[in-house]
Formats: sequence, structure tokens, C-alpha cells
Amino acid sequence: MPDPVLQVRDLEAGYGHVSVLRGVSLDVAAGEIVTIIGSNGAGKSTLMKAITGFLHLTGGTVTLDGRAITGTAPEKLVRRGLALVPEGRMLFGPMSVAENLALGAHTRTSATEIAQDLERVQALFPVLAERAAQPAATLSGGEQQMLAIGRALMSRPHVLLLDEPSLGLAPKVIADIFGVLDGLRAEGLGILLVEQDANLALKHADRGYVMRTGHVVLTGTAEELANNDDVRLIYLGAWHGNE
Amino acid sequence: MARFLTPRILGRALPVVACGVLFLVPMLTDDRYLFKVLTFVGLNVIVIAGLALLFGFAGQISLGHAAFVGIGAYTCGYLTAARGVPWIVAVIAGTVLAGVGGFLLAIPSLRLKGHYLAMATLGFNEIMSVLFVELRPVTGGNDGLRGIPFASIGAWKIDTPAGNYLLVWGVAVVVLLLTANIIRTRPGRAMRALHGSELGALASGVDTGRLKTEVFALSAGIAGLAGALYASSVGFISPSTFSLEFSVLLIAMVVIGGAGSLAGPVAACALLTLLPYADALIPGLSKELIALIQDWEADISGFVMILVLLFAPGGLAALGRRLGGTSARGAGGVQ
Repeated sequence: MPDPVLQVRDLEAGYGHVSVLRGVSLDVAAGEIVTIIGSNGAGKSTLMKAITGFLHLTGGTVTLDGRAITGTAPEKLVRRGLALVPEGRMLFGPMSVAENLALGAHTRTSATEIAQDLERVQALFPVLAERAAQPAATLSGGEQQMLAIGRALMSRPHVLLLDEPSLGLAPKVIADIFGVLDGLRAEGLGILLVEQDANLALKHADRGYVMRTGHVVLTGTAEELANNDDVRLIYLGAWHGNE
Repeated sequence: MARFLTPRILGRALPVVACGVLFLVPMLTDDRYLFKVLTFVGLNVIVIAGLALLFGFAGQISLGHAAFVGIGAYTCGYLTAARGVPWIVAVIAGTVLAGVGGFLLAIPSLRLKGHYLAMATLGFNEIMSVLFVELRPVTGGNDGLRGIPFASIGAWKIDTPAGNYLLVWGVAVVVLLLTANIIRTRPGRAMRALHGSELGALASGVDTGRLKTEVFALSAGIAGLAGALYASSVGFISPSTFSLEFSVLLIAMVVIGGAGSLAGPVAACALLTLLPYADALIPGLSKELIALIQDWEADISGFVMILVLLFAPGGLAALGRRLGGTSARGAGGVQ
């Protein structure tokens, strides 16, 4: 495996006195999709919040491009090249699609580069160009997810973190969005993906980590995980050999 | 002809026309009372421009803005009346001191949202109200501060009602242009994002803590500027002017005008400020009706606010947009 762009070591975090992450380690390299699968309450979203600086860490380290970013505030991580597509998208509803995308480039100054990236994002998701003037709140769920991803890409990240991007979306839209993620990987972006839908995640990921109660209990290539009996039974819904 | 009057062109032309009318008034009349009333409108418009930025766009409530007006007024009044400091220096001092006050209040308030921020700023207003009374050597206590000189730059003295009217409205126009420019550009976009979703703003790289502090300080400074101008144009200030009641009225103006709009709150500000002076502006009103309006002023604005919240949550701005057929650009979030 090439040098990881994102390196997480023995991460511990929680809410108040409740510890949720109990020593999680993982790597994401440039040009790979890494997925974290696990049931509700396994700590997947907490892990995303901890990596992106939204949660206070009680232990462990996070390294981005070889530099320690442990405990750095979320808005500063965006400048360093770490972008999060949050769960529930967190768009700016009454603001137009164009303004939401412009906010994604808030940390950047070069107008020409921003214009280039806008063109690129609109090429990835043409609907964002068609609806540029429309308030974000009036978009469909799938379009909103595309906008959330587009907004994150506008910061020109090295690593993109996505928290439940398929939640509540139609299969056709999910296929479109994951097609774009495949394309971004091919361009060299490192992608860390949290997904409830383990089938979908393992189909697109290169590698995966299985989390249970704040620990990584299993790791391997997507193929290995997809063929692992425990994973098949618990997360992929296989039962007595039925698929 | 009529098809040229698109909402867009109207939106651009209306402020220019309004400005023209405002600066024509002194040529059409020399009614001192009218100038006095319109000067009050201008002073409130200045405060509202800053509060619309803080509350309407950035979504941070302040129930302490009257106190910032008071800080500006007392600073300017004390420095010019008791210390003989040049007027322009005193106005700048009042503005800066209020801005620093806003900055200091913003730091502990950064963690607070909604009701809690409202309570903290309300507490600040109450503390300042007590200080305005108790810091007797500076503020003159309950008797207030008298004999504050008119605005003057060098030998040039602005001592006529029309002169003060032009001064205040000149400043108001500059402040409005400044706020409109902030709203249109990158910081304004970040403020609306903060209002919409703080998490989303952080994830987009907006330093929301710093943004809140800056907007708070700017908004408080603008209120202080209005206070300083108030002190020198009226000549007398007393603590009751800068009470919580005034803070609430200011918030009511922004709510009635519409959060996420500048023109709406300015219009609401003009209407609510003129309400108690209806007798001077609308000839032929019966004495009974005027007395009724003046006695029930606070109740009328409270009642209007309830009606707005129930039936037109977007305020005057949203009503205007509905008439003009343009879409909203305000703030708020997808939940």
C-alpha cells in the first residue's frame, strides 16, 4: 500500500463521560476508497466527527499528509485538505446552489482556481449547474447530497470523508453518486466512507474496516470482507447461504 | 414603460430615490419638529443596519443593543461636555468603545445559542443600565448628562435641526452602503451560512467563532456610533433611553422587517420610529387617536410582531418579495 494521506492511530473519543471510540486505527491512501461498516451505535459517525475535529479527543493521533492534525479545529482542517460531507448534509437551505458551492471554497482566495473547480464540480453533477440559482432547500434529496459533495470538493481536498451518503436515496441516484466517487478515486482522491449499506460500500471500496462498540474488529480488502462469513451474516444480510 | 420596472430594477432604484427624497427634504421645509423626528429615524436606521447584520444575517440575537447605543452616547457626551474633546474624536471613541464592549461580550457568549445568548445579552443590558445610573461622575446618574455640544469639525458647527438631520442621514447612508456591501460579499455569505447550519459552515472552513466575534463587535460599534450622534444632536441623555425596552424594540424592528434582509428592517424601523409621532406627520388625525397611539405604542409594536410571526414569518421583506415575485435570499437552514 502507498503512503497513507490520512493516518488514524489509537483514537479515543466520546461524549462527556461516555467513551465511544476505544482505540481506533485506520489508514486512507491517495486514490483509494476505504469504508467503515458497522451497525448502529458502533461509533462510525463518532469516528468521523473525531477525525474532523468536531469532537474532543481523549487519546490517539490523526495525521494528514504526514503532519499531525490531532485536535485541530474543523474549519482549519478544511484548509489542510480534509473535507467532510456531514451526515444529514447540513446545507444552507435558503441560499442558492451557487452560493452553497461558493461557501465550499470559503478558505480559498484564487478566483480563477475557484472558477475551475466550480466547472469541474458542475461537470461531475450537471444538475448543480442547471439549478444554480435555486435555493438548496428546494432540491430533491439526491440533488442535495450531490450539492453537499460538490460543496466539499470546492475546498480542493486531499481526503474526502463521507458520512452516510446513501441514506434515504433512490437506487438510481445512489448509483450516480457512487459512480462519481469511483471517478474521484481514479483522479487520486483518498475517500473515507461511512455506510450503513455494507453491500454498496464493499462494492465500491478498495478496503474496509468493520467496527463494533468502538473497536475495529476486522479489516481487509473489500473482497476479503465481502467473503468473510461473519460480515456476510451480520452486515450483508446473508442467511444460510441465501444472497 | 411598465415592463422596465422589473423587481430587480426597482430594487436598485428604490434606495437611490429614497436617498434623493431624504436629502431634498431640507429644501422643501424648515419644520424643526419634522427634522427632529426624521433625525430619530436616521439614528435608529443606523442601529438597525448593524443589528440586521448580527441578528438577521448571522442569526445571533442581541437583547443588549440599547446598551451599546448608551455606551456610544455617554462616551461622546462625557468627552465633549466635560472634557472638551473635539467632537469627531469623541464620536470615534464612542464607536470604538461600544465595539470593544461588543467584542468582550461576544467572547463568553460564543458558546451560547438562542435563548441562552438572549439571556446573556439581556443581562449585559441590565448591568449597563445600572452603570449608567451609578457611574454618577461620568453619566450624571438619573438626572442624565446635560449640555452636550453640537457636532463640530474645527470652526464649522452643525447646530441647526436641518444640519443634524443631514449629518445623521449622511452617516446612515454610509453605514447602509457598508452593511449592504458586507452582505453581498464573502463575509455576508459566511454569516448566512452560520445562520443556516453552524456545522455546515465549520465543515466548509468558516471560522464561526471568529466570525461571530467580529460581527458582534462591528454591530455594537455601529450602535455606539448612532449613540454618539444621538448625544450630540439632542444635547441631553439619560439612562432610561438605553433600557432593555429599547433593545426589545430594536429586535422587533428586525423581526417585523424580516431576518435575512436589510431593506425590510430599515422600513420597519422607519414605521415603528414614526408611530409615536403620527400626529406631526399625518395631518387631521383626531387628538384621541393620537393619544391612543402614544399610550399604546409598545403594545402596538408587540402586537404587530406577533401578527408578523404568525402570518408573515419572513417579515416585510418577504411580503415585498411576494409582491415583486423574486425569490428569497435570506438565511436559515435545511433541518
